Amino acid sequence: MSNDCGEAQDQIYQYLDSELDEETAASVRSHIEDCNGCHGSFDFERRLKALVRECLTEDMPETLESRVKELLREETSHARP
Amino acid sequence: MADQANFERDALQHSRQLYSAAMRMARNPADAEDLVQETYLKAYRAYGTFEEGTNLKAWLYRILTNTYINKYRKDSRRPTETDLGDVEDLYLYRRLGSEDTVDASRTTEDRVLDGLVESDIKAAVEELPENFRIPVLLADLEGFSYKEIAEILDIPIGTVMSRLHRGRKAMQKRLWEFASQRGLVPEDAERP
Repeated sequence: MSNDCGEAQDQIYQYLDSELDEETAASVRSHIEDCNGCHGSFDFERRLKALVRECLTEDMPETLESRVKELLREETSHARP
Repeated sequence: MADQANFERDALQHSRQLYSAAMRMARNPADAEDLVQETYLKAYRAYGTFEEGTNLKAWLYRILTNTYINKYRKDSRRPTETDLGDVEDLYLYRRLGSEDTVDASRTTEDRVLDGLVESDIKAAVEELPENFRIPVLLADLEGFSYKEIAEILDIPIGTVMSRLHRGRKAMQKRLWEFASQRGLVPEDAERP
């Protein structure tokens, strides 16, 4: 693993979280494109992050939004005697 | 200053995402629904203090998180600052990659990502201590920036980054265990 690999690996999450400035992100991107080892780990982490997001997203109970609206209406009518 | 009349239109569009986060915080549908309702009621009452044009979604999450933390602390009296054991970086990938007996490591990675089920991912996140779980949820479920997470949780950005880093590693360690239990990795790859 070269110094470039070490640097890229250290920045893997900041890269995937879009937290790097443009210049640093470009240099990481160009390293990943050229380096098989880093490409593998970045690809895996990217897919895992997407999987986590997908699995954590819930269907909201249909009645919840109407209950919230009802709650807000009650609150408004209490606020206006 | 925001007009309360616009609250429903502006704030309710985030309800599905708030519910998803609330589910991972409260860990059951009844408490998650309560949490969302309480969040909207508090937000509605305080909407006059919300500065229009600023980040409404982050403001709602701040209220959700504080509501959860207050309720959780009251309910369980469990410490909120829990530490995690140390785990190496990119834990899951490295465990898979270091396995020489696999014919082609790519297929092990694919098998793990395809074979882990929704309940594994949910459990791996839900089992994280609260101070790691919430930053992971805000980043990975909601896509908030580190700066937004720092503002929502009222902690420094450096703390956000370190909690995210450690929370994700701990989550990966748990996912490795699930992958092992499901036979997604070769038996001799399991930790002795």
